[in-house]
Amino acid sequence: MIRIIQQRVKCIGCNACVEAADYRWRISTKDGKCTLVGGIEKRGFFSVIVNHHELNDNLKAAQNCPVNIIKIHEF
Amino acid sequence: MTRTIELMSPAGSYESLMAAIKAGCNSVYFGIEQLNMRARSSNNFTLEDLKHIANIGRENQVKTYLTLNTILYDHDISLMKRIVDEAKTCGITAIIASDHAVMNYAKKIGMEIHVSTQSNVSNIDTVEFYANYADVAVLARELSLKQVADISKEIKRRNIIGPSGKLIELEIFAHGALCMAVSGKCYLSLHSHFASANRGACIQNCRRSYIVTDKEEGIEFEVDNEFIMSAKDLCTIDFIDKILDAGVKVLKIEGRGRSVDYVHTVTNCYNAAINSYLEDTYTKEKTELWKTQLATVFNRGFWDGYYLGRKMGEWCDENGSKSSKRKIYLAKGIHYFDKANVGEFKCESHSLSLGDEIMISGPTTGYLELTISELRVNGQAIEKVVKGQSFTIHTPERIRPSDKLYKLVPEAS
Repeated sequence: MIRIIQQRVKCIGCNACVEAADYRWRISTKDGKCTLVGGIEKRGFFSVIVNHHELNDNLKAAQNCPVNIIKIHEF
Repeated sequence: MTRTIELMSPAGSYESLMAAIKAGCNSVYFGIEQLNMRARSSNNFTLEDLKHIANIGRENQVKTYLTLNTILYDHDISLMKRIVDEAKTCGITAIIASDHAVMNYAKKIGMEIHVSTQSNVSNIDTVEFYANYADVAVLARELSLKQVADISKEIKRRNIIGPSGKLIELEIFAHGALCMAVSGKCYLSLHSHFASANRGACIQNCRRSYIVTDKEEGIEFEVDNEFIMSAKDLCTIDFIDKILDAGVKVLKIEGRGRSVDYVHTVTNCYNAAINSYLEDTYTKEKTELWKTQLATVFNRGFWDGYYLGRKMGEWCDENGSKSSKRKIYLAKGIHYFDKANVGEFKCESHSLSLGDEIMISGPTTGYLELTISELRVNGQAIEKVVKGQSFTIHTPERIRPSDKLYKLVPEAS
């Protein structure tokens, strides 16, 4: 399993994560920032635990994020 | 009294906003949320701050401009509209835009528009085109002053008026960092780190030093002495008379990502320069003094930009700032004794002595610079306070618990 974590408040809505894993990331039409699909918020950080098969796409999303707010933990 | 020339200062925070107002700016520009060119580097305001900023502007007779000048994608449109609507409702003076979607929408709802430098306005016909939407055009930084003067004359001759019914006004950048790319349209940061400068996420890798590699033998040459992509900072204070003679009405200071002392010092110097020009007391001696003051805050060395027709840019010879002073955090504000004009602080690091130069900054206080002439602890005059002590000093105006006190020291050369 992997845990995907996003510090949403710092998102600049560039869409890079959506391009890498569109099933996991969606730009909110409300505030233009990206929403981690299935993410649960705790103190400003959104996180979700997903199956290992999402690892590569989301690693790419993390790498491409210009403001480095996406972290992936494998466990 | 409103003067004919407008000085526009950057406000990346409430501290900078208040400092700019105190230093004599006529207008401020700022970004909210993520759709502005300092999405990464400055602590941007949010939609909730708009009303407060507009109120501060009104109270101080300072115009407020909201930058909404990134590249916009389809998914940004609804946020963009919300921002423009809110700006209109709160009474923000104008929107600085480069994307046509913003101009189109702002025009529809009757919001004043200024064309951003990102639009690379370089000729009179483009000014005429944007006059359908905007009342002020920020000209491309790559124009010479002769070109600026020609555009200015032609606006009057053709009677090019904006939506307000007045002649289009010209604005240019007068001071601050210069992007190496034409009108800031740079893709270096996007190529190397996926961080688009055109979405306000520039990581400024142009400011670094580089090695050139011979592909045949792999021999590496360090590009020595010059940071070949890092332009020196623009400084026009010693030829501001020529700029204003060219018909420019608005002078903009770059630096929404800069600190409060930078905003205060630069605004102060350019305010004095504009007043001198208007009073006909602008002299070379004054410009030299202002330049020395400007060098005390963040700078990469100064050059004239392209206004005087230089063929090549001037590049930095080192990384980071060449400022002649730096600040050290010392203390936080505790209390202000109104009747005595005395501020109480708690020293949290280093020490403070009589004769030290200090600055105090805070979201309401803005910026205050003083030399310590008297220090008191528990009512007793002393020569030095150290970490852990609470002390009082005379301050010409109110200080607040949200204020921070810094010591200004010469930068080691």
